Amino acid sequence: MSLLRTAAIARRILQGFRHDRRTLVLLFVAPVVILGLFYFLIRGGSGVPAVDVVNLDQGELGTVLASHLQASTQIAVSMTGLDQARSDLASDRVAAYILLPPNLTASASGGGLAEPEVHLEGTQPGLTQPVLAALDQSEASLLGSIGAQSGARLPTIRPRLTYLHGGAGLDTLDYFGGAFVGLVVFFLVFVVTIIAFLRERSQGTLERLMASPLRRSEIVAGYMAGFTVVAAIQAVEVALFTLYALHVHNQGSVVLVVLMTLLLALVAVNLGIFLSMFATTEFQAVQFIPLAIVPQVLLSGIVFPVSTEPGWLQAVSELLPLTYGVDGLRDVMLKGNGLTSGALLLDIGVVAAFAVALVVAATATLRRGVS
Amino acid sequence: MNATATAVRVEGLAKSFGPVLALDGASLSVGTGEIYGLLGPNGAGKTTLIRSLVGLVTADRGSVEVLGRRLPDRAVLAEIGYMPQSPALYADLTVEENVRFFAAIHGLEGGRARPQIAEALQLVDLFARRRSVVATLSGGMRQRVSLACSLVHRPRLLLLDEPTVGVDPQLRAELWQRFAEMSGQGVTIVVSSHVMDEAERCRRLGLLRFGRLLAEGTADELRGLAGVTRLEDAFLALSERGR
Repeated sequence: MSLLRTAAIARRILQGFRHDRRTLVLLFVAPVVILGLFYFLIRGGSGVPAVDVVNLDQGELGTVLASHLQASTQIAVSMTGLDQARSDLASDRVAAYILLPPNLTASASGGGLAEPEVHLEGTQPGLTQPVLAALDQSEASLLGSIGAQSGARLPTIRPRLTYLHGGAGLDTLDYFGGAFVGLVVFFLVFVVTIIAFLRERSQGTLERLMASPLRRSEIVAGYMAGFTVVAAIQAVEVALFTLYALHVHNQGSVVLVVLMTLLLALVAVNLGIFLSMFATTEFQAVQFIPLAIVPQVLLSGIVFPVSTEPGWLQAVSELLPLTYGVDGLRDVMLKGNGLTSGALLLDIGVVAAFAVALVVAATATLRRGVS
Repeated sequence: MNATATAVRVEGLAKSFGPVLALDGASLSVGTGEIYGLLGPNGAGKTTLIRSLVGLVTADRGSVEVLGRRLPDRAVLAEIGYMPQSPALYADLTVEENVRFFAAIHGLEGGRARPQIAEALQLVDLFARRRSVVATLSGGMRQRVSLACSLVHRPRLLLLDEPTVGVDPQLRAELWQRFAEMSGQGVTIVVSSHVMDEAERCRRLGLLRFGRLLAEGTADELRGLAGVTRLEDAFLALSERGR
């Protein structure tokens, strides 16, 4: 083995990086961006689920339990009336409300059974878990303080859980399934388009298209039509496989699941064409994946609920198409919403608007094919 | 001179790419049915000049008029065939699929397309290989597919940027025979080349250097101008004078 020849290869690689400044920048910027996002998502949030507590208890136990809940750092508690709590839950303003029933103290006395009611929204495990954990802790510290005060027999506290959507019968895949259907299609279609369009540029055929009577809008529309055929087949396949082979829970219409997935695919095609204008090699295009896709996945609410992000990150999330796609798919699959739901129509409308805006952007940047 | 007699008219064309001046006030005109050869060393501006004739280069100064239409003009592009220097093809499609695609984007579809595609493939001697995927072809064959793609729609103006690189001498002779026939039918051809025996076959030649046209005329006129007997010597001598 010749050290000289090996060194020549190493030197060649480093020279390549020196001439490709953009790759170098991406290589060092992307990890900082991604890890920084993780920091803000996990540690930076004021972001804990909002919970309403309704105390109807006529005794003192309800007041004590409520104050323990208010002291919890895992949830943000507001004390409300029952009507307010119900409407907050229905409109997604809280992750849950906890109802302390009128007979709570009475039934707990003398080592009896206390049953607070926990009404969970239920579509996002990331919001459900902190609520249950906060309740557990509050119970434990409550029991501890009672035990320290007297030798009285401790009551048993057993919360009764009800879910507005979904329920205890759903597992992790049921919760993530809908989001993953959208994500998988979005990601794959994006990668295929950006590479295909870049190849059009690097093999010189784009120049030939520009020297023909084709309009730029015809090129973009043609690309969209071609990839939409493939994306449509993929969307149907992925949706059906998820629903019927993996038996992922679906409360709503299969057609709406496919429609939402297809809309996301359209956004991905045009995002791919648009971003390919900013890459000159397939190498650079591949680097758009960590920079364009990973933050979008982190911020779209798939794993970390948007409502628990710090305020400025929520604003960023609301600018990303995948956020609305994921929300729409959850609306359909977990909540069973149909086209009469304003929330679902908003999601569909926003994703469609992103698709249109990116068609325009892709068409405008195509000019860069001409010098 | 009216528009039908002049196929290409370039006046004072200038274009720089960053610090590099590719064209520096180039002017030329090509008559209808002429074969016009663009000669010049690497980097002289031949490719930039040809690309500007199909609107791929937006000039800093000057004007380009093609088939009587002032560029930019999208409609006139349907009557131009452009063959870039490197064979720009879809490597994952077959020969015939490539040619059919370029026919279609120039508006050639349906019943007329089939015989014209077959004719273009026969012209470049690839009819038998029409079902081969382009990725499996040699460099010279790809060059021929590229040529077929640029003339399948029977353009009135054919722009060829070094069309015969990698093509063997026998086929090259056949191709030039066909260029001559097309020229006889009124097709105007602008071709850039390094090969001197090809230059001899052009009706007129333009010698491009430093983005300007140094000399123009028939091969004989250029030899006379330089006072030498070989075209290659004329080319070298005239290039020196341009400095």
